[in-house]
Amino acid sequence: MRIKLVLAGGLALTAIGIFVALLHSPTTVAATNGVARTVNLGPVEEHERICQAGETLPADISAIQLPLAAVTGPQVDVEVLAGARVITRGTRGTAWYGTVVDVPLTPLHRVTAHVTVCLELRFITGLVFIHGSYTSPTIAARGERALAGRLSISYLRPARASWLTQASAVIDHLGLGRAPSGTWIVFPIVLLMVCAVALGCRLILQELR
Amino acid sequence: MSRIPRGAWVCALVACLNAACWSLITPAFQTPDEPSQFAYVQELAETGHKPSVNSQTFAPAEEIALQDLHQELVQYSPQNHTIFRPAQQRQLEHDLALPLSRISPDAGLATSEPPLYYALETIPYFAGSAGTLLDRLTLMRLFSALNAGVTALFVFLFLREALPRERWTATVGGLGVAFSPLLGMMSGSVNPDSLLCAVSAVLFYCLARGFRRGLTLRLAACLGAVIAIGSITKLNFLGLAPGALLGLLALTVRARQRSKRGAYASLALALLIAATPLGLYVAHNLLAGSPTNLPASGSTSLIISRSLLKASSYIWQFYLPRLPGMHSYFPGLWTTRQFWINGFVGLYGWTDTVFPAWVENAALIPLALLVLLLLRGLVLARQQLLARRSELISYAAIAGGLLILIGASDYLAYPRETGTFAQPRYLLPLIALYGAGLALAARGAGRRWGPVVGAAIVVLLIAHDIASQLLEISRFYG
Repeated sequence: MRIKLVLAGGLALTAIGIFVALLHSPTTVAATNGVARTVNLGPVEEHERICQAGETLPADISAIQLPLAAVTGPQVDVEVLAGARVITRGTRGTAWYGTVVDVPLTPLHRVTAHVTVCLELRFITGLVFIHGSYTSPTIAARGERALAGRLSISYLRPARASWLTQASAVIDHLGLGRAPSGTWIVFPIVLLMVCAVALGCRLILQELR
Repeated sequence: MSRIPRGAWVCALVACLNAACWSLITPAFQTPDEPSQFAYVQELAETGHKPSVNSQTFAPAEEIALQDLHQELVQYSPQNHTIFRPAQQRQLEHDLALPLSRISPDAGLATSEPPLYYALETIPYFAGSAGTLLDRLTLMRLFSALNAGVTALFVFLFLREALPRERWTATVGGLGVAFSPLLGMMSGSVNPDSLLCAVSAVLFYCLARGFRRGLTLRLAACLGAVIAIGSITKLNFLGLAPGALLGLLALTVRARQRSKRGAYASLALALLIAATPLGLYVAHNLLAGSPTNLPASGSTSLIISRSLLKASSYIWQFYLPRLPGMHSYFPGLWTTRQFWINGFVGLYGWTDTVFPAWVENAALIPLALLVLLLLRGLVLARQQLLARRSELISYAAIAGGLLILIGASDYLAYPRETGTFAQPRYLLPLIALYGAGLALAARGAGRRWGPVVGAAIVVLLIAHDIASQLLEISRFYG
């Protein structure tokens, strides 16, 4: 009886957890700075602070997405300055992976133009690549030296629609990139997992008495 | 076959279903090195020859599929999702139907790997010959999913041998392994890690059986065959081999007490079978007049040239906190937590799909409880464990060998690409020990509560698996 309770309670909690997660919204790109990600502006090997002026921070931004690529990402501290005043900041710890890094920021409720975005890379292990586009030195991002161009930056905020309301779009998307294509793919996925869970639970009830 | 408990078959089926589910969720070519692995199988199937070039330029038929799927744009870039427009799908289907060449000697990073897994994968490759490249990939992934079943089956059997008194714990460990999202993802893709995992589970089972029932000629032949199969499955088996040989020696020493002749005959048979692939490789190269360099020999000499002491320090820090006096190779990183614990919680796709930080933090609570229960289980069983120390030393040597191999590989990538090998998937060959850890944790809850805690552990792992699948869906299709 106790095992039945554990199974029922655990699976119910899992279902509730999934439902709650689906009520949340995915993060979307609210705006970009319009700089294409076309070139590597150079690797960084040691602790460095890079600032890029002439940015516009949209309202209610929850994170800033920076074009950094690393095998094991360093700590990234971000400060957004209006003049000399820091208006928001955030930090992403070490060990992130991929070709971009999202750094959470304290949201501001108004659009702020003419800000400078400064990022500081700490605890670097390996090389960190910065991506963006070549520009004239006058508007290029600056570290200890001027970079060859500007960084491609995206500003993120939670979408208005939740995962639940976007479910049909996600299912449509899931059906593409495979052969044969189609939303039919959802049925075997759900069926396989339901069968696996049912078999697992049945075995537990039989063996763990 | 009839002697295999029903529970083992159920665990195997659950693992297959889970891996098949992962194979359908994961977009084509969005698991580690899948384009290279596919290219290897394709070249082997189409020409009968192993690939020989590593420059990541695949056959035109594969290249166009990768291009239409925006594979490079999506790989390592969680901000980019898979193709989402019907026009892109139409272009893909059009290009898949083109009569392009499927031959290229280039299999990228997979080129240096031994051929067994790829040779087996030619079966579904040929079975899908009436369809497109993506149909073949789907069949190959499903074929690979069978390896997850073999893994879970032998982990269950290993636990029955290793923990014979509490037979129910094998169900906890077996199901825990079957619902492992990492095993599901890797076995649901085209990757020799899935077969290596299955082979290592069989290895652990054979050793446990030997330590419990004694070394027989038949078991020795099985052990030798497992080592031989492992050595032609993936180079990483080199890390497991020393521990496997140590286990074989320990079994021989034990068997000598019964019959010296029988023990040495068993050892000789096992070694002969285990060394067969190596012998054939050397003989083939001698006959062909090629140098007989073993794949690991270059790496070993490079490590020695860099200083063994530094390599040891690096490998230590790759897994564990730095000790006083050690040079810091991972500044600002707590490798145990950030590489391995967080990686275990969730590191999918091309190591570009992770849970938010709050999930990684929250996961520490159940993980800590599991570790506490495991420690209690070990304390409760300390007398039995002491009596079985030679067996435990063999398992530890297998684990240690693999850990050193992975750490040394990362040391070779240092300093430019530090952390390249910090991926828990490389530790999947030790999944039998993970299953044992789960079983011991359930046992650590005591006789009364053990089964209840065991059920709770399995439900927790089911939740982890489903959450990981949803994470994968949100990353690629969100």
